[in-house]
Formats: sequence, C-alpha cells, structure tokens
Amino acid sequence: MGGRVKQRTAGLMVAVPVIICCGALSLVLIFNWLANDSTPTLARSIPGMDGGPPQSERDQSGDLNVNLAGTLETFDGIPSDLPGSWPRFRGADFDNISKQNVELADQWPADGPEVLWSVELGEGHAAPAVLNGCVYLFDYDETKRADALRCFSLKNGKEIWRRSYALPAKRNHGLSRTIPAVTEEYIITIGPRCHVSCVETKTGNFRWGIDLQKEYGTTEPLWFTGQCPLIDGGRVILAPGAPDALLMAADLKTGEIIWKVPSSKGWKMSHSSVLPLTLHGEEMYVYAAVGGMVGVSKEGNLLWEIPWNASVIAPSPVPVSGNRIFITAGYGSGSLMVEIEKDASGYAAKEIAKHGPKDWLACEQQTPIVYDGLLYGIMPKDGGALKQQFVCFNPDSGELVWSSGKTHRFGLGPFILADDKFFVLDDDGTLTMLAFSKTGYQQLAQHRILDGHDAWGPIALVGTRMLLRDSTRMVCIEVGEKE
Amino acid sequence: MSEMGNRGRRNFVRGAAAALIGGTVLAAARSRSPKLVWQIDPEKCTRCGRCATHCVLAPSAVKCFHSYSICGYCDLCGGYLRPDAKGRNTGAENQLCPTAAITRTYIEAPYYQYKIDEDLCIGCGICVEGCDVFGNGSMYLQVKHDLCVNCNQCAISNACPSDAFKRVPASDGYLLKSDQEKRISS
Repeated sequence: MGGRVKQRTAGLMVAVPVIICCGALSLVLIFNWLANDSTPTLARSIPGMDGGPPQSERDQSGDLNVNLAGTLETFDGIPSDLPGSWPRFRGADFDNISKQNVELADQWPADGPEVLWSVELGEGHAAPAVLNGCVYLFDYDETKRADALRCFSLKNGKEIWRRSYALPAKRNHGLSRTIPAVTEEYIITIGPRCHVSCVETKTGNFRWGIDLQKEYGTTEPLWFTGQCPLIDGGRVILAPGAPDALLMAADLKTGEIIWKVPSSKGWKMSHSSVLPLTLHGEEMYVYAAVGGMVGVSKEGNLLWEIPWNASVIAPSPVPVSGNRIFITAGYGSGSLMVEIEKDASGYAAKEIAKHGPKDWLACEQQTPIVYDGLLYGIMPKDGGALKQQFVCFNPDSGELVWSSGKTHRFGLGPFILADDKFFVLDDDGTLTMLAFSKTGYQQLAQHRILDGHDAWGPIALVGTRMLLRDSTRMVCIEVGEKE
Repeated sequence: MSEMGNRGRRNFVRGAAAALIGGTVLAAARSRSPKLVWQIDPEKCTRCGRCATHCVLAPSAVKCFHSYSICGYCDLCGGYLRPDAKGRNTGAENQLCPTAAITRTYIEAPYYQYKIDEDLCIGCGICVEGCDVFGNGSMYLQVKHDLCVNCNQCAISNACPSDAFKRVPASDGYLLKSDQEKRISS
C-alpha cells in the first residue's frame, strides 16, 4: 500500500513539471503566433495606386473654351436633285425602317453593289443624315483637331461646305460618333465632347451653340458622346444628364432653354438618344440615362422613372406594343422590358422582365428593330452561343424565334430594314442582305464593301443609295434594281 | 558444343549491331524532326479556367499575355475591372484578377496602361474573358515555355474542352495575337 503511494507521488513529481513546461511553452508559442504579422509580404490594393487623378476629376472634362461659331469653308460640290431623305438617327420615324416605295435588288452582281462614291473621314463612327440631295456628317478633322459638320452632294460625294470649330480630343476608340438632326431650316449636332451646335441647313451659317459640360455640368461619357440630337417641331430635345438638366428643351431657332428636368437621382448622360413616343395617348420623351430610364412630357414634366443599373448604354429605347418599352445595353447589362401604367395618380413604370445577355435579346451598340410584332437585333459578345448573331425574339414570350447561326456572326454591326430586306454590316465592312422573315435566316447576298475595320456607324438609305462607313471612310452604294 | 557457342555469340553480335543501327537511325530521325512544345490557340480558347487547375505545376505554366497593339488603354477596362465595380480605380474590391496580377498605370487622360505580373498570374483566364467580352481582346492565355516542363501528354490539354492546346515547333512556340508582337518576337 505504501509502495503505491510512493509510486503515485513520484509520477506526479514528474508529470506536474512536464505539464507546466508544456503549458508555458504553448503560451509562448501562441503569444509569438499572435504577435507576429503573418502577412508581411502582402500589399494592400487601394484606390490611387495607378498614379492617375481621382475618378471625380477624370469625369470632369474641364473648361475647354471652345468657340462653337468656328469657321465655314465652301467647296465646289453642289446639292443634288435626288429625291428622298434620312433626316436623323434611325430615320424619320425613329424605327430604322425605310418606308419609301422603292424596289431594291434581291441579288448583287459577283463584284458586289456598285460603289458610287467614297470619301475619307476622320476616325470615328459618326453616320450621315440626308435631306434635299445633301449628305450631312459630323466628322472630326484630325489634322486641324476640330469638330467639323460636313455637307456633301448625295450624287457624287463632293463636299459643298464644312463648318468646323477647334476642339482638343484624343482618339479613344474613334472620335466622332453622332448623327445630325436635319430639317429644312436647321441642323443640330452634338460633338464628341458634348458641344451642341445649330447651323442653317442650306448655308452652313452658325446660329447658336451650347457647351453642355461648361454650362450644365454634364459628365462626358466614356469614349465620347454618342447621343444623337432630337428635333421635335420647333424644339431641340437634349439629354445633358446633368444635375439640373437630365433632359431639356431648347428653342430650335434661338437655342433659348424652354424647360429642364433635373436629375434628382444623379443619373448621367449615356450614349443612348431621346425617343419621342406616344403612350396612353400622351406624347412624351423617353431617355435611358446611366442610372435609369425616364419619361418626360412635352411640357417638361417628369412622368415616370425606373432605375436600371447599366454602366454603359449605347442603344436607345424601343417601343413595343402594349405601352411597353424595351431597353438593352452591352457590357454584361442585358435587357429590361418595362410597362408604363397610368391611373388617376399618374404614370408608373413597371418592370416586366429583366434578363442577362445570355438569356434574352441584348445588344451592345445598335438599337433593335421592332417589326410586325417581333424584335430583331445583334447579340453582344457576352451573349453566349448566340454572340454576334443576328437574332429574332418574341417580345411577349421572350423566346428566341430564330438566329443567324454560328456561321453567320456580325460583330457590333449596324442594320436597317428596307423593302422587306435586312441589310446588316459587320465590323470589317461586309454587307449582308437578308430576306425579311419571321421564321428563319434567309441570306440573299453578301459582299465586302469597305476595307477598313470598326464599321459601326448606322446605315442610311435614300432612294436606292445606301450610305455606309467604317472607321475612316464613307461610301455610297447603289442597291436598287438595275434597269 | 563449340558450334552452339559460336551461334550464340553470332546472335548476340547481330542483335547488338541491329540495336546500334536502329538507335542511330532513331536518334538521327529525332534530331532532324523539330522539337515540339505545347501551346494554346487563342482563337479556340474559351477561358474555362482549367489552365489554372490542371497544370502539373503550381502555379500553372499558363500565363496571361497582353497585346499592347490591340489594347485600347481604356479607363474602363473590362480585363481589369469587375463588371460591377463601384469605381474605376485600383481598389481591391474593383479588380477582376483574383491575385492582383494586373497593374494599371496612368499615362495621360484618358489612357491607362495594363501590365501582367507573371509571378502572380495563375492563368485562370478571368481577365481574358473580361477583355474579350467588354474590350478588344488584347489579353489572352499562352503557355510560358521557360516554365512549362513540356510533358509528353499535357494535363491541361486533356482537360481542355475546346481543343485549344496543340503542339507547335519550339522555334515558333508562341501563338501571338497581333502581327506587331509576332514581328517583335521573331
């Protein structure tokens, strides 16, 4: 019995110091572990490590002190007597559908449609408007570093006059990218750095101008301004996307501001253009700003608004039957369908559907066409298997009706509908003619028209003359039936 | 007995001679055929992410290449910034690359230069996807031959869903995107 006690005592005499030593050692190790910085080699990624100015400063383009009156040069071109017009972005009815009663060829000769004339342009994506035999294009003169409204003869492409003002701009995926709005009396332009000008249509004489950045605090969009101006009667409708003027109306003759709708939520200018629309029997202006879409009455009252989180919006809103509006954008944004409701308390925008670019019609750059109840467009690069395909969607069911297939892709290309044919231009200047179809892709003809790249400027069609451009050249081709 | 022994020696000598001649021919043939290395065809690559996970090396021998002649030097860079980035800056929360392997440097308004830090790049292709979908496609994946151990059967090529891996001559071991880079590399 005594031996056992002795043994236990001896065991305790060994175990206790060992436990104490182990405990002390553990405490030391834990202390060291906690005391040591285990991340000495990690570097923090914080804003400002690129050496650039803060984003708030980058988004302010500063005071450019641009003399918008500029100078007028005249040349030996004369207006042609060719009939027809394409007076603004997406044509007279804002739908990109030519409704002139002209038969276009169903096939092209082996060497393609005849190129009637061609002119060199500054790098960009600006496209022409046409009225009374004159082609108006808002170009950027890279030699003189100036915005330049150029007037050409539709017949032979000879320049008639050029109104330009000096403007510093560096190429940033091109420079020019808007389409003038033209009436019998006046032309309205918006330049890459948010300068609005009004000149006389026949003479090119300067009438008035607005610097949206300087006067209203507009934030110049990434890659310059893409908004095309709207003339509605005697008014110019602009979307400065500025704190005090999300949308505004100016007198066409004088430039005097008639009304402004403030941007109460801080929404900003996008590349989208203002769409005039009649919903519930009321005429209104619809604009998709960076931040959301709004409807504004002709008197300048905000009727409805709906937020939409798209960082870059190039296409414009598209009206769909049933008081619905479809808007789409690239860069992962996808599409949004809203229904505008009206009751005794006023208007309200209700989200009907919102989908990513792989799940529904989405377009990165060009505005879809609605025709005979269906939506047509070119899918963006993030459109999954349908990327860059020409597609037809049912706006009611959201289902894909048909697509051009993986062997027919069109980049970011512009397209137009005329004489029951789609004309689709791909990035490298290849023009494809399709038969209008609600059931499938039917290619009629295809030919490479332009040699350059980035052929993204919208197509204009006047009579049987089609105007196309790539990044540095505009051509006029004959697409009519040969006699 | 001695006749059988002679026959054995003769067979041995014949076998040795055949092996020597065969080996010499094989060696000569091998020395004449070009050395082949694995490479990724950028046109076929679908940025699936398997280059980062299936290489026998860790990190992978596949790295992001950047073509400066194709890059737009944009402030809003789809290869650098997350699609839902809160700001266009170098904050970690805005960066697309999981290892911060892309450095962004201000040049002048509105241009930024983007460089790939090869030591940090794991070849996941996330930036390549962003650059292709939202940008000009200047970023793309290539096997770095100074890192690659050139396995007989590349483990990534087995896993590649788009058949983008192929053998190319070591003397022309990169499938570069732009003519400008091709001229520089040659």
